[in-house]
Amino acid sequence: MAIFNFKKREIECKIVYYGPGRCGKTTNMEYIFKTFKKQVVGEMVSIDTEGDRTLFFDFLPIGLGKIKGFDIKVQVYTVPGQVQYRSTRKLVLKGVDGVIFVADSLAVRREKNMVSLKDLQHNLKEYGLNIFKIPLVMQHNKRDLAGQGFPIMSVEQMEKDLNRQLKVPSFPASAIIGQGVGATLKECLKLTLVSFRKNLQLGR
Amino acid sequence: MGDFVLAGNMDFLSLGDVLQLLGSNSSTGILRIRSKYAQEPGLIYFINGNPVNALAGPLSGLDAVNALFGWVDGEFEFSEEDIRRKNVIKKSRMQIILDCLSMLDDGQIERLGPVSFPAKKKSSSKKESTLPIIKGPLIDYSYVVDEEEARAGNKIVAQGKHGGWLWVILEGVAEIIRETPQGPLKILRIGEGAFIGSIASFLLLEGTVRSAAIRAVDNVQLGVLDSRRLSIDFLRMSNPFRSLAISLDKRLKQVTDMAVNIHLKKIRIEDYINGKNQLITQGDSETDLYQITEGEAHIVRHTENGYVPLANLHSGDFFGNVSFLDLGQEPYQASVFASEDLKVNKIDPEILQKEHNRLSSTFKNFIEHLATCVSVTTMLACEFHKKTGEKEP
Repeated sequence: MAIFNFKKREIECKIVYYGPGRCGKTTNMEYIFKTFKKQVVGEMVSIDTEGDRTLFFDFLPIGLGKIKGFDIKVQVYTVPGQVQYRSTRKLVLKGVDGVIFVADSLAVRREKNMVSLKDLQHNLKEYGLNIFKIPLVMQHNKRDLAGQGFPIMSVEQMEKDLNRQLKVPSFPASAIIGQGVGATLKECLKLTLVSFRKNLQLGR
Repeated sequence: MGDFVLAGNMDFLSLGDVLQLLGSNSSTGILRIRSKYAQEPGLIYFINGNPVNALAGPLSGLDAVNALFGWVDGEFEFSEEDIRRKNVIKKSRMQIILDCLSMLDDGQIERLGPVSFPAKKKSSSKKESTLPIIKGPLIDYSYVVDEEEARAGNKIVAQGKHGGWLWVILEGVAEIIRETPQGPLKILRIGEGAFIGSIASFLLLEGTVRSAAIRAVDNVQLGVLDSRRLSIDFLRMSNPFRSLAISLDKRLKQVTDMAVNIHLKKIRIEDYINGKNQLITQGDSETDLYQITEGEAHIVRHTENGYVPLANLHSGDFFGNVSFLDLGQEPYQASVFASEDLKVNKIDPEILQKEHNRLSSTFKNFIEHLATCVSVTTMLACEFHKKTGEKEP
């Protein structure tokens, strides 16, 4: 549910990075913040929450065009997964328009990925959203660790674990070197806008 | 003063949401936040959608904004006005919102309400008492006939002694302690606006024995309540409402007894559920209210550690959904099991609701305080149950 700001002729929409602790959500956001600096409005807000960080910035994507003459402004967030951060999670997930699920390719994190995805489904449901309907993109992060001798899962295995039922677009990535980061966000923005246009048409 | 352009309830739209809304609208003006647990409204000044200064009691600037995030069930009004305040808040809007929400969840910002958990200091050890403090809404001084002081550590009432006085705490914190064969057991902590005494004081025929001791934690300022006036209020109530109030008072004693017995491991859950009919299942959307005319009923909460018995109800007692009170028990948070011979009368909750709305503020607060105590003691009983379960192999 994006906000139409008539005063500024802007549509504000919300993209949230979700995933288990230390999967690379922060690295994704930091990379975008650095690389697309010109499109970022204001500073990046960073809050230390136990075991994780909550990040936020405003982003003006270019090349997406306008919708009904309105510019598109994207609020990009990460959300703390820990149960205790209920208030932050509520604020972040309320009215979320698109979700990027960052999965950790490390073999030892297999279970954590699955738990986090389940958790996402549960949290979305709490705000009346359906994981099967919301624009969602998956990222298999930390692919570069294979070259460093760490045991990682194959993309096929991760797809089977996490994306068998959802069947959403997914991207291999190494957020630390920026690989796959832009593609993931771009796909999520695309799906989000397609879903907007569809909703606007339906509402007419 | 400008006109209100936006008003509402923090329950529905949290301060974080309101700040975002005013931000994306680039609004300039004053946001007033009222809570029945604060004497003065809190204020946040906005210029072009950004908070520039704030006031909350003795606090100002960012500290005040932080504190206002804890006024979770307050009401807000925004008026468009010219603001000529110095900009003392330098943090960005989103930084404030996300910071405050995580501090709220970490317990570093105190939630204003009937139950408050003192704001945690980061260094505090887990061994310190974690009992929450139960507070009441603003005190109606017209019911206070005298003031007394209890010095830190002194007993305000002694368990087992007769006494019918009623007090309201004006300042300070007191502990409710039950004497047990294993020594004293702390049950609750009560603070400003909380009541000391029982509804049984108004029942002229029954002698009132204090069911627990109350000790002042720090210097406590007490307001002696006008018992005669409260008795008149009580006598003017309809019969069903009076019974409800008495039943509530009993419920608090019951759940306290249960908590103590759970702590002493003197409870057998089978006694409460075996061979009984389950009338209400925890989580049911039961909307009716019943008064028992015969037989008995048991209130039991189902937790991940098993069943926890909370109260035994008898003839005259109520169970079901009391829409205007939150007991933290049936129907949403506990089940009701009944004996074979249970007979009940259905009560129209709307009539009681209307009568509740007409009560004097002091009586309304008294009843609300009872309900909060029941709800917090219920939590305590479950906590004790968890602990005693852990010790057993």
